[in-house]
Amino acid sequence: MKPYLSMFLMSARRTFAYRLSALIGWLGGGAILISSLSVWHALLGEGAIAGYDWPMMKAYLVVAWAAGSIGASQGDWRMADRIREGHVATDLTKPVDYQGSRFAEHAGGLATEIPAILIAASAVIAFTGSIPGPANVFLFLLSFACVVPLKFCFTYLTAMLCFWTHNFMGISWAKDAIIWLFSGGLIPLSMLPVWLSVPASLLPFAGITATPAALYLGQATGAEAARLLGLQVFWVLALWFGARLLWRGALRALTVHGG
Amino acid sequence: MGLVKAQSLTKVFRRPQKGPGLRGSVKHLFQRRFKDVPAVNGIDVSIEAGEAVAYVGPNGAGKSTTIKLLCGILVPTSGSVEVAGVTPHVDRIANARNIGVLFGQRSQLWWDLPVRESLGLLRDMYDLPKGFYQQRIERLDEVLGIGELMPVLARKLSLGQRMRADLAAALLHQPRIVYLDEPTIGLDIAVKDKVRKFLRELRADGTTLMLTTHDLGDIEDVCERIIIIDEGRKIFDGPLAQMKDSFARTRRMHLHITDGTPMDVIAKHLSTADVSGEGSEVTIAFDRFAHTAGQIIAAVLQVAEVGEFHLDEPAIEDVVRKVYAGELLV
Repeated sequence: MKPYLSMFLMSARRTFAYRLSALIGWLGGGAILISSLSVWHALLGEGAIAGYDWPMMKAYLVVAWAAGSIGASQGDWRMADRIREGHVATDLTKPVDYQGSRFAEHAGGLATEIPAILIAASAVIAFTGSIPGPANVFLFLLSFACVVPLKFCFTYLTAMLCFWTHNFMGISWAKDAIIWLFSGGLIPLSMLPVWLSVPASLLPFAGITATPAALYLGQATGAEAARLLGLQVFWVLALWFGARLLWRGALRALTVHGG
Repeated sequence: MGLVKAQSLTKVFRRPQKGPGLRGSVKHLFQRRFKDVPAVNGIDVSIEAGEAVAYVGPNGAGKSTTIKLLCGILVPTSGSVEVAGVTPHVDRIANARNIGVLFGQRSQLWWDLPVRESLGLLRDMYDLPKGFYQQRIERLDEVLGIGELMPVLARKLSLGQRMRADLAAALLHQPRIVYLDEPTIGLDIAVKDKVRKFLRELRADGTTLMLTTHDLGDIEDVCERIIIIDEGRKIFDGPLAQMKDSFARTRRMHLHITDGTPMDVIAKHLSTADVSGEGSEVTIAFDRFAHTAGQIIAAVLQVAEVGEFHLDEPAIEDVVRKVYAGELLV
């Protein structure tokens, strides 16, 4: 564990090397949150859409924003560039697991994000009220903890596609768009047509926004909450080990760039 | 029994043939066209413990690919590799503990953090005891002067400093086998000397060394054996001295003739040597096993008066240059 802990700490320290960049990232993120709050406030007015009135939607948007922001400053490019620029060769001369190392780095990079998200989320909640019960908060935190490895797996898997495609930008955009739509980040899944919302609720993307939001809002309790959490954990494990399988294939495809 | 062994080692890359831009990439996902390019083609190598081997060839000859196969980074298309009893691509992590690797064109240092942090991470990766780590740092400071670099951010290092820090990083865990891919690329002469001296000490300590380089000074200073590859095939493998004897036999004597004796008179007199030049400046190329320099000068003095002269010793450079240019079939 020691090497991974060490990498985690190094990565956390590195994020502080880019304090200004992190600050700008937070401000940008805050702007996104404020704009989506105002758009939905205008849309909903005093009414409700698909069961969401303004107080609920507000809470939903804060959760969606927090889930969307976490890991965002890490940038998919960091992992992709390791492959595209051939640094992966140096990484592979070290006696550590590649995927584990990348996860440790990714998690360490959240060091400046988590406080920022906490501050922004508390601010919104403090100014607008609507604090859920302790049971909801507990389930939400469990679920939110799964968001980190889930998002890591998506990033890691898409970065790995560089082994085959050598083009990352398009893939990264496609990934972001798919996650945005199918996680409920764009609009709550229940607002999608049934033929889209039912499969979306079973896919791993739902674990990024829809699941933590449902637990936070108390839309799912008891057995349903357990089922949602179970599905989320299932996807974390499936993607983690699926990535390992894919990695083996990727190594065969590896062409180290630049000699 | 070699410590590093490769038999009929082959790596074929499938190079995708695709159109430009995102469109080309997406199209490529559906319509896959590839071309097979053999980077390493049936190479047999066996390196004994403690040997220092230069691995030489023109750009794109397959040097780096071979190193990557030996590191377990790449999976061979066919053939076998064994390094200290481990098959690198099967048990990459076990192999990684035995080897130290430097890719001169890349850094393994963490760009935004002081050098000390990167070395500390390596200490944890290789699980080095505290006392051993201290001792290694002191040793590496002696030969590479990394002490002064420890608190510096990696991105603030000059190229020479970066290379010293990277060498320290590659050798921190005192590996038995060291692969160095272009360890002196881009370095100034003073730093180059330092690095070469360090490599000689490493060899004296019994470390097995494999060096790819375009710098022939590295080879002559550090290695006793040379392997030349071209287009993925091994074309020479033997002691450096033997290579020089076989292929670098020609010495060149440059003379300044003071009495105006024409060149063809000298050429006629020295029928077994090759005489060229212009006016009073004459160059005589001769086989160093057939004649001594004394014999040549004595012969010239019979027909002409000589002012100044100097002698070029055969250099490994000439041989390698000829091999690269395809003039010499070894």
